[in-house]
Amino acid sequence: MAAIVQSFDSKASATPSSSDAIMRVEDISMRFSTPDGVLTAVDDVSFAVRPGEFLSVIGPSGCGKSTLFNVIGGLLGGYEGRVSVAGETITGPHASIGMVFQEESTFPWRTVVDNVAFPLELSGMAKAQRVERARHFIKLVGLDGFENRYPSELSGGMRQRVSMARTLAFEPKILLMDEPFAALDEQTRLLLGDKVLQIQQQLKQTTLLITHNITEAVQLSDRILVMTYRPGKIKRIVDIDLPRPRTSDIVSSEAFGRYVAQIWSDLREEASRGMSDDEKTRQGGHPR
Amino acid sequence: MAHAGQLTAARTPRPALADPVTMVRIAIIVGVLAFWEVLSRSGWLYRDVVPSLVAISKAVGELLIDKDYYWNLGWTGFEVAVALGIGGVGGLLAGLILGSNKLLGKSFEPYLYYLGPTPKIIFFPVMIMWFGIGPGSKIALGTISCFFPIALSTAAGMRQIKPVLISVGRTYRANAWQMMTKIYIPAMRHPIINGIRLGLGVAIIGTLLAETKLSNKGIGFLIINAYSTFDMPRMYALLIVLFVLSIGVNALVGRFGGLDKIKRS
Repeated sequence: MAAIVQSFDSKASATPSSSDAIMRVEDISMRFSTPDGVLTAVDDVSFAVRPGEFLSVIGPSGCGKSTLFNVIGGLLGGYEGRVSVAGETITGPHASIGMVFQEESTFPWRTVVDNVAFPLELSGMAKAQRVERARHFIKLVGLDGFENRYPSELSGGMRQRVSMARTLAFEPKILLMDEPFAALDEQTRLLLGDKVLQIQQQLKQTTLLITHNITEAVQLSDRILVMTYRPGKIKRIVDIDLPRPRTSDIVSSEAFGRYVAQIWSDLREEASRGMSDDEKTRQGGHPR
Repeated sequence: MAHAGQLTAARTPRPALADPVTMVRIAIIVGVLAFWEVLSRSGWLYRDVVPSLVAISKAVGELLIDKDYYWNLGWTGFEVAVALGIGGVGGLLAGLILGSNKLLGKSFEPYLYYLGPTPKIIFFPVMIMWFGIGPGSKIALGTISCFFPIALSTAAGMRQIKPVLISVGRTYRANAWQMMTKIYIPAMRHPIINGIRLGLGVAIIGTLLAETKLSNKGIGFLIINAYSTFDMPRMYALLIVLFVLSIGVNALVGRFGGLDKIKRS
């Protein structure tokens, strides 16, 4: 038990030395004006991502996770603070950041191979070459044999893997994923987690995962940032000291259970604040 | 959409002749033909208003070997094709602009919605003054007929694109041309094809209507010519042939749309 408490060294692991970080998120705040006044979605969030690590941001609904995802991905402007990759400030979608969305985002009019080759096609790679690269990434996510199928012929989990392969084909320095498995059932999610671990192992891919699923976060991550409910701040940073390579078998280990319990005790308070806010709104009152 | 596909698929196996629906369908045709023939021979109506089936069949035969008919058919086809080309490209561009620009979209759309269902034949006199009584005025009328449905369904289609697909394009840093050709247009292919189907229909109507009003060539001209010389068998023959042609064109466009459906579903 003592070992786990020790691993919650909150500020120290949040800001590694500058040489250490591939991406830095510095003092990000995002405010929206609503009819009820100014809403602070993200409040002064700072953290650094180390090369090769799997970092998860976990928080209850309404903690500004998706806002953070869009800010880091360069899809949303109008925030305070700075996001930088290898020292370069992000001002829009950046070649070193590849995004996988929560929503179904495959192109229904393209086959699996053409979907995955899409970013390569944009960069003007020759057809034979990009098909070959696409096949490589399709194999990596375990969809070989489905190259010439259309997304509508695949299951939801397979389609998310197509989206992931497409973004991996973009060869980003940082893979940024927003609850990519949120719409899938628990079993599929665990199995896809295995796939992600395996890919992570193989590519040494730096990954930033936005999620609200504790099991998923613990299963996959090296570190987890726990966020507070509105306004979204970093509540705690948890180092997940579980052995790698991992598989989904890890979920039955005692250490895994302790991490899940610890994160849940942090999140419970936030989630219940979110819930009571939601209930107030439904009664006609206003959330803070 | 998916329903249409299923229906077509379900219909593909040829129904047996003994199928009750087929029997009734055949009975309907036989009944109508018999009624027509009886009416024609009864003498109740003014002579030749309802010519006998024999006379009509003969006229159809004559029509099908008539070089004049093909020449006029060619003109009508040409007019419709040019109208669909101009109106289609114009409608597509207008739809893309109105769909992508909120200010322009909101400002122009009420006019498009009001002008859209207006019978375009009311502009025919203006078109004659501008383009003469030849094919020019027919093409113009066909063009303005098909412009509206294509522009409106393109603009509507643009607004129905899933925002996440646009985000995907942005994260892969697609340029404006790539966004248009690789995301917007393919994502809108169903509304666009639908708009073209509707557009083709109204372009044919507009062109034929214009030809029957004032013209010197085309199928509409032949029909009204047969009517004014009281050549009823020939007029009916023209109508029948035109009817069959329309069914054929519709089936062709439907098939085009259907092919696309297979790719999607």
